[in-house]
Amino acid sequence: MDDPSGVTQRVGAAPSPFEFTGTGSEYFRIWIVNLALTLITLGIYSASAKVRRLQYFYRNTSLLGNSFDYHGDPMAILKGRLIGVGLLMLYNGAAYWSMALAVTVFLLLIAVMPWLIQRSITFKLFNSSYRGLRLRFNGSVGDAYNVFLGWPVLVVMTFGLLLPLAHQRIKAYQHNHSAYGTAPFNFSADVGSFYVVYFKLLGMILAPVFLIGVTAASYGLFAAMGSGERDPVKLIQNMMQFFVLLAVLYLGLFLIIGPWYAARTQNLVWNHTALGAHRFSSRVRARDLLILYVTNFILIVLTLGLFKPFADIRLARYRLTHMALQPQGNLDEFFAHEQQAVNALGEETANIFDVDISF
Amino acid sequence: MSTSPSDALTLNAQYFDGRSAKARPVTLTLRGVTLVLRGESVAREDDIATLRVSEPMGAAPRLISYPDGAHCEVRDHAGLARMLRATGFRDDWVVRVQTRWRWALAAVAVTVAIVFAGYRWGLPAASEFIAFRMPDSVLAQLSGGTLEFLDKHLFKPSQLPEPRRKALADAFARMLTHDRSPLRYTLHFRDGVAVGANAMALPDGTIIITDQLVKIAAHDEEVLAVLAHELGHVSRRHGMRMLIQGSIVAFVVSWYIGDVSSIAAGLPTLLLQARYSREHELEADAFGAAMLTANGISPKRLADMLAKLEASHRAKVDESGKDKDHIPPQTESDKARRGSIGDYLASHPATRERIEALKKAQ
Repeated sequence: MDDPSGVTQRVGAAPSPFEFTGTGSEYFRIWIVNLALTLITLGIYSASAKVRRLQYFYRNTSLLGNSFDYHGDPMAILKGRLIGVGLLMLYNGAAYWSMALAVTVFLLLIAVMPWLIQRSITFKLFNSSYRGLRLRFNGSVGDAYNVFLGWPVLVVMTFGLLLPLAHQRIKAYQHNHSAYGTAPFNFSADVGSFYVVYFKLLGMILAPVFLIGVTAASYGLFAAMGSGERDPVKLIQNMMQFFVLLAVLYLGLFLIIGPWYAARTQNLVWNHTALGAHRFSSRVRARDLLILYVTNFILIVLTLGLFKPFADIRLARYRLTHMALQPQGNLDEFFAHEQQAVNALGEETANIFDVDISF
Repeated sequence: MSTSPSDALTLNAQYFDGRSAKARPVTLTLRGVTLVLRGESVAREDDIATLRVSEPMGAAPRLISYPDGAHCEVRDHAGLARMLRATGFRDDWVVRVQTRWRWALAAVAVTVAIVFAGYRWGLPAASEFIAFRMPDSVLAQLSGGTLEFLDKHLFKPSQLPEPRRKALADAFARMLTHDRSPLRYTLHFRDGVAVGANAMALPDGTIIITDQLVKIAAHDEEVLAVLAHELGHVSRRHGMRMLIQGSIVAFVVSWYIGDVSSIAAGLPTLLLQARYSREHELEADAFGAAMLTANGISPKRLADMLAKLEASHRAKVDESGKDKDHIPPQTESDKARRGSIGDYLASHPATRERIEALKKAQ
């Protein structure tokens, strides 16, 4: 006996927020013990540490009362880390010996980078699960070269004019080729909405730059140059003060712009991502992120870095709890019918590895 | 059913078969070495030896995994802990360590000790290793433009008579290094204008000495002593080592802080950096002293010169002729001035300390 469809829709339409139960004090102990083990083992333990770190975040994140899980194999991560460190050392070593060699290695790195990124995304999604079903990524290597190499080259050639377009293509590549069980994710943000974000960003950068320029012209440079200051040292001092002032203003500017950009892009991307018919929503606010970033930074500096795990938890909690899944119809029904895709555990597991060198 | 004590060990969980995302409410009961699972449309009994349980992570559910890909999500932490105790299950030692504050504090101590040791000994050793493997072309590239920059903003052409300059340059060129190592350097005389009596060395072997320094010297050997000290900076590649250390610290700090801004990350980097040239100064002094001795000149000449430089710069207190380029040049006046102010974070040891060390070198 079905409900009248309208009622079902409305009942099902209540957003299901993501919940996060991680705490700084728990995570601190996990983080510090694993960091110490990583240092003692000269970095080898870092792969296990990463798995544990991610498991803490995944398992403390819930949707509809069930948690996520992370399944990464430390050996696969270690393999990726060795590749990453090897490439980095190859590049730096080459730079010491000859410029030509360095350029060759650099081009080689650029050439393999899209493939490595594609492998990494595949690894990350394949090792993420919810309610016993793995996520999957089926973006092709060819498309990875398009979005991670082709578009960036075009961005450089057009002096950044195509940057918003390239950003949209990258997100579309990631989100249109992901799936949960048999349900595909899809991404609907158009290029225009990316351009809107970037135009506002440009405005936020240019307006203060213009103001700074005017102030500088009237006060800084002319005061320094036109004051008839003869002592070159005084002159240099004045100019240094002026440049320090500029640097501080810029620092302030980026402090504001950074969180604004992070908030806008997260909202744009997730408000236009859906799993099957169910849309995600993200309500992250720039000013909240700003407060988080600044307080985190101050506390990290004051504690000589020990606040870092607390900062990570605060940021994750804020980001996750401001995201939700907006169901079309009954989510429990949807999940009850979601099946593991055939072949999800197939041969692809054999040759995926994680490539990153963060700890 | 028998009423063995383990019958009391029952808890609620959600079961997922790994093929569909359907959540099934179940009860788990431990019966001997068998975990009995009962739910509305599911029932299974498994030997606990085939099961795996995820480590405790605060409020996060613990997951009991079956070998066929199914799993149970358990949020009754107390119940599961009781059940695990009954099976004699023991957490991994890492888990036991990371859930206790005592061990966490021990880990803090270990981490701080390793990071400190790395910063104090590892970093200088690494940058020394790298600096001495840098080809000369890189040194030249990094120093390139610095002299032009200084000429433009800080110096004027030397007012010293050409024969005087040549005499000093020749006298220095005749000197041998104590270890007979061939050294490439280029000597430049400049009018220091506002920076006054000063000398500096760039990584590629460019040594600059000001007219004012030559003038306050009571004896040519005092000028040679300063040049020997500067040659020490070049020989030990101090400029390059500072640059490498600075880059490594900046990289690590900005990577660690990450989220905020790489510009802000530069702030603590500067503080952390200040300490290093202390050892470099003493090292350059030692090099200078050894070189002077090898050429029959008393290291006291360098000590005398340091005292004079300090006096000369104390006289002009509000003087600040320092203009930092990307390469940190080692300037004598700078050391003397800052050293006299008293220094924990000062980048140069107090002049008195250096003079004492030089006297001992005799």
